[in-house]
Amino acid sequence: MWENALSFFDFDDANVIYVSLGTIILGAGAAVVGAFTFFRKKALIGDAIAHAILPGVCLAFILSGTKNYFLLITGAFFTGWLSIIAVDYIVKKSKIKEDTAIGLILSVFFGVGIMLLTYIQQSGNAAQTGLDSFLFGKAASMLVQDVIVFSVISIIVMIMIFLFYKELKLITYDKDFAQSVGLPVKWIEFLLSSLTVLAVVTGIQAVGVVLMAALLITPTAAAKYWSGSLSIILILAAAIGGFSGVSGAFISYIAPNMPTGPWVVMVLSAFAIISIMFAPRKGYISRLWQQLKNRRQIQDENILKAFHQIAESENSFDESKSIEKLREKRYYTIRLMKRILVRLKRNGYLKRSKEGYYLSDYGQRKAARLVKLHRLWELYLTEYLRIAPDHVHEDADTIEHLITPELEKKLEEKLGYPEVDPHNSKIPYD
Amino acid sequence: MNRQVENPIIEIHDLSVAYERKPVLWDVDLSLPEGQLIGIIGPNGAGKSTLLKAIMGLLPLNSGYIQINGKPLEEMRHKISYVPQRESVDWDFPTSVYEVVMMGRYGQLGLFKRPKKADKDIVMDSLRKVGMEEFKDRQISQLSGGQQQRVFLARALAQQADIYFMDEPFAGVDAATEKAIIKLLGEMSAQNKTVIVVHHDLQSVAKYFDWIILLNMRLVASGPINEAFTPELLQETYGGKLTLLTEISDLIQKHRFPNRE
Ligand SMILES: Nc1ncnc2c1ncn2[C@@H]1O[C@H](COP(=O)(O)OP(=O)(O)OP(=O)(O)O)[C@@H](O)[C@H]1O
Ligand SMILES: [Mg+2]
Repeated sequence: MWENALSFFDFDDANVIYVSLGTIILGAGAAVVGAFTFFRKKALIGDAIAHAILPGVCLAFILSGTKNYFLLITGAFFTGWLSIIAVDYIVKKSKIKEDTAIGLILSVFFGVGIMLLTYIQQSGNAAQTGLDSFLFGKAASMLVQDVIVFSVISIIVMIMIFLFYKELKLITYDKDFAQSVGLPVKWIEFLLSSLTVLAVVTGIQAVGVVLMAALLITPTAAAKYWSGSLSIILILAAAIGGFSGVSGAFISYIAPNMPTGPWVVMVLSAFAIISIMFAPRKGYISRLWQQLKNRRQIQDENILKAFHQIAESENSFDESKSIEKLREKRYYTIRLMKRILVRLKRNGYLKRSKEGYYLSDYGQRKAARLVKLHRLWELYLTEYLRIAPDHVHEDADTIEHLITPELEKKLEEKLGYPEVDPHNSKIPYD
Repeated sequence: MNRQVENPIIEIHDLSVAYERKPVLWDVDLSLPEGQLIGIIGPNGAGKSTLLKAIMGLLPLNSGYIQINGKPLEEMRHKISYVPQRESVDWDFPTSVYEVVMMGRYGQLGLFKRPKKADKDIVMDSLRKVGMEEFKDRQISQLSGGQQQRVFLARALAQQADIYFMDEPFAGVDAATEKAIIKLLGEMSAQNKTVIVVHHDLQSVAKYFDWIILLNMRLVASGPINEAFTPELLQETYGGKLTLLTEISDLIQKHRFPNRE
């Protein structure tokens, strides 16, 4: 097995190079077309086409008796398109919803396909080798000739997407508008469906019929976490699809009995999971981190406020405050309180003495500003929104952490620099 | 009442539309004057959006025809702009404000062509007119409802059309945005552009429009605001007198009757 792995990276076997390049191209092509099915919310259609291709391929094989590409692809194209038309027809003419119609068509076509495949296998036709890999894909069994044919198709698909990018984007985003400006919408949709069929025909070399939908959809599902621009998403999806494709080729070299499809899907899923977890801004971790930062900010600011409030009531602005005293104002656990105090000291808001902590000049200003914001907001709520004074404290407690300097200025001006808040506490200005 | 005009910019003759056999517009006859601000008023489900879509050729017609400036729609497409209802698109689609407004140029650009400097200038100009210049690189998923509406409006302006059809451009926008939009529409009609707007707020109808169309599955009235905006006609539009028409529609759908011989 490991010799196989090494010889894969040697690339001295011409076949390895061809298959590697080929699977990259197949994966990229499928991913790029898949992006449009994804954003058109037609993910399931790709699945239907993939399954519907099987009977076409088998039928072409039975009729011709050979593995002639032109015929196989024609057969695949024929049944692939037939499935699209059948789904459309059912949706239009009956009360059946699209997803149900897809499920129906998918299983009927696939059933017929499996039946034909079984027939071919039992007939013991020598040329059948390779046909059964249609189910789960076996990249390594591709011949140089296969690779060239399918890569060329895949490249043509990508060129078409590039040429019609503008139009495809418009019908994906706003079909009615596209039609209203006179774009040949029906024609472009026909083109996209045909490209989808072609991408599926080529893609099943790498992943097989059963898992083809994953190769169409997952690269985009992962890529959209990293960018908000369609063109960049397309490039990322192509890269993810290509990498997953070649990783499938790799596995089918080191473990010749292993079908490629499941492996490709595992790699794709890894990309998706990594994206969902770690993508900047949209990723889970990043959002969790943002929440944590917000929570810490609120804790820090609450304690700073507590310092000010205690000092205000005891008129002891320059004296140290003990943890116990602070906990009378804000009932945090001792451990949490210590952590907050250490954090505030590190950031220069607090200084340490024997008796506890006291505010630095910087901290004093910050604390006073927070108290001011809290009281200004309370005043705003009671004066402008006519909320009862005993209701406003909770609201102000959250809002005070959000108010920007610009808003602060507006508040001050609007309220005319008031002296006291609704509870008659003094509002500190600097 | 149905006031006919001479040399109409839009003429609709005996228009009927059905969805899956269920008729929603019955025999609409209309003619509209050029260069006016025109409101389409009617209750939910009256077929206002359907009327716009039918005029834009987005739906198959059961009967009737539409002429723009005396010519069939296909010859006039480049002179017409359509602003769909805001909810009709997916605002999570990965694209920027600038790119959406650029879509307004696609009709003129034609297949395979990339936008030129002139197109970019027009797009920036349109963004400026709706006050969305600073937002040009913003993801559309990060816009408020009012900003989305402004983007759609900018896209329409970028089309540089003569006739504008807008489906509820005031839905979900705040008072300031509504004011800015209506001012813009006023300026457009002052330049002899015809602006047709689906509108819901009866309070502001008389203030905004020169001409109104009252619709409820059929045409109730079409005419200058001072003649067509009357309590009797509004009662006829919004009152529950049309249940019979609705029932017939449902029957036609259920029994798979042809709506027309
Ligand atoms: N795609 C559709 N398929 C089937 N029926 C539809 C479709 N679109 C609209 N309808 C029906 O046609 C009728 C008219 O709808 P339309 O959207 O034109 O009303 P509207 O006047 O624009 O209403 P609203 O004020 O709610 O926007 C309604 O009864 C609606 O249920
Ligand atoms: Mg509507």
